[in-house]
Amino acid sequence: MKEFKRRPLIILSLSICAVLIVALWFFYQNYPKNNLKAEQFVQEKAALERLIKNSSEIHRLWTEGEDSREWNSWKKECLQLKKIESPFDESLLRCNPILMECLAAFTKKSDFHFVKNGDSLYRYVTKSNIAHAHLNGTGYLFTIEDIQSKKKLDLLLADNCQEVFLQNRAYAYGEEVLGKEVEDYRFDNFNQNIYIDRHLVTNAEINDWIDFGNSDFTKGLHKKTGDDLVLPATDLKEEQMMNYCSFRGKQLLLAHYFDAATFLPMDLSDVLPAKNNRSPYYWTKKRSDFKPDCNLIYAQECPAKKPFQLNATSPTWAGLTDAMGGVMEVFRNPIDPESNLKASSFYFNFKSQWHRLGFRAGWDGDGFELRHFDFKGFNPEITIDKFQVGFRCMRESK
Amino acid sequence: MKKLLLPILLLVTLVSGCLSSKKVSLPEAEMKLASEWLYAFSLENFNLNDVVIERPPGISQLLFKMKIPTENGLALKTHCVYYQVPYKKIVGKLSVEELKTDSACPESESGDSWFELDQIKKLKVTLENSHLHFDFEKDGKGISWTFLLANLEGNLIHEKYEPMKEKKWKSGLTFLRTDAETFLNQNNKSLGKLSDRMSRGTAIRCQQVDKNCNNVGENRCDDCRYGWYSIVDYNCPQGGSKFCGQNHCGEKGEPACPRGVKVVDEMDAGICQSDLTPVMNADHILICQ
Repeated sequence: MKEFKRRPLIILSLSICAVLIVALWFFYQNYPKNNLKAEQFVQEKAALERLIKNSSEIHRLWTEGEDSREWNSWKKECLQLKKIESPFDESLLRCNPILMECLAAFTKKSDFHFVKNGDSLYRYVTKSNIAHAHLNGTGYLFTIEDIQSKKKLDLLLADNCQEVFLQNRAYAYGEEVLGKEVEDYRFDNFNQNIYIDRHLVTNAEINDWIDFGNSDFTKGLHKKTGDDLVLPATDLKEEQMMNYCSFRGKQLLLAHYFDAATFLPMDLSDVLPAKNNRSPYYWTKKRSDFKPDCNLIYAQECPAKKPFQLNATSPTWAGLTDAMGGVMEVFRNPIDPESNLKASSFYFNFKSQWHRLGFRAGWDGDGFELRHFDFKGFNPEITIDKFQVGFRCMRESK
Repeated sequence: MKKLLLPILLLVTLVSGCLSSKKVSLPEAEMKLASEWLYAFSLENFNLNDVVIERPPGISQLLFKMKIPTENGLALKTHCVYYQVPYKKIVGKLSVEELKTDSACPESESGDSWFELDQIKKLKVTLENSHLHFDFEKDGKGISWTFLLANLEGNLIHEKYEPMKEKKWKSGLTFLRTDAETFLNQNNKSLGKLSDRMSRGTAIRCQQVDKNCNNVGENRCDDCRYGWYSIVDYNCPQGGSKFCGQNHCGEKGEPACPRGVKVVDEMDAGICQSDLTPVMNADHILICQ
């Protein structure tokens, strides 16, 4: 009888044991896996956060350029790496992949590294060479890899720090015409957002076009190295210059916008003056305030005083450099196409007629010998085999 | 036999409990969303910012919509994010439905979720400085998630003497999703060729303005392969219509360049080469002839 009463108890105990064994089996089967899986996602999140933090630091370096602590710590090594020996305007390092190449080469103890794209550290992307949806603007595409997790992140850094916005106001084209009967050629840009390159296009930028542009348009061009990287590109024909600007989603600077960005407004607070009085010199409102100063006009006398470099002179009121002197600069002139060249350059001495804003020579855009230029009777007094003609781009924005 | 029922029930409960633990863990859920939303370009229909969502009880509602590039960046897909507010036996549930194209989100979910997290309550979603915060309770614990929306676009800022800035996490920084396909020329659907000209009839209009200064259709100028330029038509405050390609304004057969109308009459609003005259064509565009 007792044994009969015990039987359910034994069955119950055995059942509980069985349940416990099954429970333990599930626990050991699943716990480590789930735990490992959860831990794996925690690690992945940490890796993503590291990549984002590093992207933020790269972006800081990209925008700070020459002001960054990194540049100051490996400047000498960086210049050696790029074989740049001559002094240059270091503000060119903002939004410049040279700084990223040196970051990759000289930064120790980092938890990420750049992934190379063939021989290059980056890819210059524009609408013409990438099919990514919803991409507006151009820039440098870098891939970074988290060393610990091997996780990668593609970051696109816009290359617009070297542009300036042209204030919405009334402007005038060409030199001021004195006299009551003659009207100035005036215009305004109140319904346009115009951005102009601060400096002339460099050889380093043309290298990017050669590497990442359509090779049909870059035939005959050769990549430059060393000091040339930070000098203006001066061996492109006019059509190539226009095609280069198009590659970057821009256009060759129009002559009247160059005038707008260089003639100093008499009253900066009055955006719609009754008349656009203007001085032929970008640094002064006075017509007679000419100064034979190499920091204002890099003229023929200047190479003996300091070597030529990009951004050799002070910026204009709108922020454009090399508005006078240095190399010549070509524009597209929609009003008078024959007057498309800023002849003010180191080919003319300080006394030359050419050192005046709005006074332009002509270039047929097809070659660099004297016969391709129209200096309107004011030819250089020295013999030049090959003139240097630079250019810059502009664009409209939404 | 009845005495065996209790242990069997215990066994079933335990087994089902063990099996249910295979559901998405919180770290996995967080990572799944973070690694997608990092690339989101837009956040739309987002109306319940910084409030604990408690209404309507028991009903699923659309919280917001996101446009995200696909794996190789070639197209945009849509994430529709829904929340079902808990009520009695109806559990609180956060779900995301993925639409393969850039399209509108239905007001209620279809049931085909890309992501689902249930047993949650007291959900609050806050957007602050390009970060999307999710605060909620799950299994009695308070959970906080923060997602960086680095690509989320704000307005453009135009300031004199300055480069353009974008109101986003870091102006000028965009995270892309690329693979070999992204760089193949045959996948590039951008608009226009370098040789396109108005005078040849090949220029593509990327934005049209009508006579009442309304924009007609969407602005596709960001899709232009070689940039874009404005022409002169109705002298509207937002400027004229826009065309893709290389600008040859002022030249014969090409549009006049914009001159503005603040310092000259409307009839002189276009710039042409000095030997040409601006003439209005059938589309009301000033052409240099």
